[in-house]
Amino acid sequence: MLARAAGNLYWMARYLERAENTARLINSTTHVLLDLPLGASFGWANLIEIAGLDNLFQQNYPEANEEAIMRFLIEDTRNPSSILSCVQYARENTRTLREVLPAEMWERINSLYLYVRDNAAIACRSRRDRYMVLNNIIEQRHAIIGLIAGTMSHDIAYQVLKLGRNIERADMTTRILDLNSAVQFPQDSVLHEALMERIWMSTLNSLSAYQTYRRKISMHVRSDEVVAFLLCDLRFPRSVEHCLSEIEDCFKLMPKSQQLQQLAAQLRHRIEQSPTSGLSSVALHELLDLLQAELGEIHDVLTRQYFHAYLDDSQPTGTNQTEIEFAGQ
Amino acid sequence: MELASSEYTSNTAYDELLGRDLHPRPVAQPLFAYLNSLDENELAARRQAVDATIMAMGITFTIYSESGNIDRVWPFDPIPRVMARSEWERIQAGLKQRLSALNLFINDLYNEQRIIKDGVFPAEVLEDSANFRPQCVGITPRFGVWAHICGTDLVRDRDGTVYVLEDNLRVPSGVSYMLENRQVMKRIFPEVFRTTNILPVDDYPTQLHRTLAALSPRPGDQPVIAVLTPGIYNSAYFEHSYLAQQMGAYLVEGSDLIVGSDDVVYMKSIAGLQRVDVIYRRVDDAFLDPEVFNPESVLGVRGLMRAWRSGNVGIANAPGAGVADDKVVYTFVPQIIRYYLNEDPILANVPSYLCMVEEQRDYVLANLDKLVVKPANESGGYGMIIGPRATPEERAQFAELIRANPRNYMAQPTLDISTAPTLVDGKLAPRHLDLRPFVLQSDQLYATTGGLTRVAMRQGSLVVNSSQGGGSKDTWIVEEEAL
Repeated sequence: MLARAAGNLYWMARYLERAENTARLINSTTHVLLDLPLGASFGWANLIEIAGLDNLFQQNYPEANEEAIMRFLIEDTRNPSSILSCVQYARENTRTLREVLPAEMWERINSLYLYVRDNAAIACRSRRDRYMVLNNIIEQRHAIIGLIAGTMSHDIAYQVLKLGRNIERADMTTRILDLNSAVQFPQDSVLHEALMERIWMSTLNSLSAYQTYRRKISMHVRSDEVVAFLLCDLRFPRSVEHCLSEIEDCFKLMPKSQQLQQLAAQLRHRIEQSPTSGLSSVALHELLDLLQAELGEIHDVLTRQYFHAYLDDSQPTGTNQTEIEFAGQ
Repeated sequence: MELASSEYTSNTAYDELLGRDLHPRPVAQPLFAYLNSLDENELAARRQAVDATIMAMGITFTIYSESGNIDRVWPFDPIPRVMARSEWERIQAGLKQRLSALNLFINDLYNEQRIIKDGVFPAEVLEDSANFRPQCVGITPRFGVWAHICGTDLVRDRDGTVYVLEDNLRVPSGVSYMLENRQVMKRIFPEVFRTTNILPVDDYPTQLHRTLAALSPRPGDQPVIAVLTPGIYNSAYFEHSYLAQQMGAYLVEGSDLIVGSDDVVYMKSIAGLQRVDVIYRRVDDAFLDPEVFNPESVLGVRGLMRAWRSGNVGIANAPGAGVADDKVVYTFVPQIIRYYLNEDPILANVPSYLCMVEEQRDYVLANLDKLVVKPANESGGYGMIIGPRATPEERAQFAELIRANPRNYMAQPTLDISTAPTLVDGKLAPRHLDLRPFVLQSDQLYATTGGLTRVAMRQGSLVVNSSQGGGSKDTWIVEEEAL
């Protein structure tokens, strides 16, 4: 597979995953907000902070209210991580990749793009419209995943897609876990514990993990256990551990991947060894930061190894391989 | 024919589907029976479904403009253009005859130049040719074939005669739209395929792959074929990507390729350098290799000509093939066919006047108001004048251009090119159209079943180029026994 095409494909997978994750995060956050008592505040601004987009937001909006933040996260193309931006980049990249993807892929992604383009503004109109539009986006993304699962040969292109998806997903899971340290309650609230449970429930929901968690771990939603589950459960497809094991499997099938296999194995090892119970929110935040940095390291090495291997002898051309990493990284 | 718009009463051109009495021609009768079975609302709904489908399929082309490049949705008219198989087979034979003669001609020009020595083709035309590449002299590509892919533009005049308007031998585009048009029709009008026996068009990618694979310097192996595109900003990028996908080839840009010191072309894959056997290039000659042609080019591959000359890579179309894609050379094609094949041309050329020949130039200058004058080396309908539609000032300006550079111009009478019913505001209005079939040659000759029908969507307009507001139609070659 061409190095340039592989780079475009990897980013295409990341953009789609990011768009879906952003949609999920907004929907589950809206949901939990409705349950919070008056006086408890969960700033919408946290959504922007965990994505490392606070500076960019402040440059463009005077006030961090729900409406502005939704516009920024959903339809604002000045935000390279907005849902519309991500879907647009994914489409542009797909245009250059039709030959390595299942034939129907272009039409699916093009349709998703047209849908988001025509409905992003509607999604910003009201909570009800937003829920419907974001849900449709998630569904269309699932159709794309289904198409890949059902029709794509497990060739190198497939591995590259899977890498992009899992690196983005693992990164997002660490960021969603980080979200809860930002919740503030009224000082004298006796409801603290019950509220916290609600919020962790929302975390699980945003990752479609609630049902599995209840079945496998506990009927009670406790922070320690949620953190342990979302970091270390090998079987749940959105846990960091599972994503890393997928990443490691991909590397095993890629050429010249010794160093990358090692990096992925080391990071898995680190997660397995990290204590997840009794962590203060500061310690948890530090752990998550560290995991993000190490995922970033894997991304950097694989980019150098595969996509930019020939940069010395030519200028890169083509589309969106620009680093629009989360700014916090 | 209640669907026909009142514009039809004043239509003087030959209509592909409707006879003079506005009754459908025999080939179009099943189609019209079907169209008449749809009520107005149904037809409008199908029309909308067509637009939505094209949008979802992302069938676009790019227009260059000052404010950046815009991706336009491919304009498509759902009323097909229908032609009988017997007529098509004669055209097909003519297309193959023409391309094989042109390839013999190109190979002769780059080698012995017998045709010049024998006084059939003037040396001065060659000397002034903008597309003759001295760098290619002495080369005979495999099978002696230079133009492997040719897009030939055909039009029909008032009396029903089909003429060749031009032979596009450089990087002709449009075949992907021919294929996608059929897909759209199948999705939106599936019933109509039951009433008429329409020949399929979708073997083109297979035939193209075959044609290219035959050029591989490593026969026997599964050749690595790459489509070389100038990149996403090229107006035909959609097609490059589409054809690569349909053929299972790699879509590459110049920067993805490298020529080693062994004069072999490699592509930069994630596993290391991988050899490329055949390049279907959609980049003009001038940009193909900065070592040999335009040194500023970033679209090409340094050393590509070396690799080609050493026989280590097949290139389609071969560099230099464009020498026969020249409107002055065009006027000699009938003689070229007779000279190399000793056959009469099956397809007619439009009668043409060469401005380089004094008497003919005088005639052109005296009759500018009746003629179409075209520059030798432009494509896409640029730089030409349609005399009857130009103002006296425009004609005077153009006359100066001709006097300044007569070799660069040829003129033809304005043809009353044929029309076909086209859906305009719920009615069928006559719109002018042409037909671009695609012809392939390497070890074998092949011509598409039909081709891309391009239609001028504006009333009375003769310009069918998509860059200038043209649209397209599905083209049906139908089996007559079924009629």
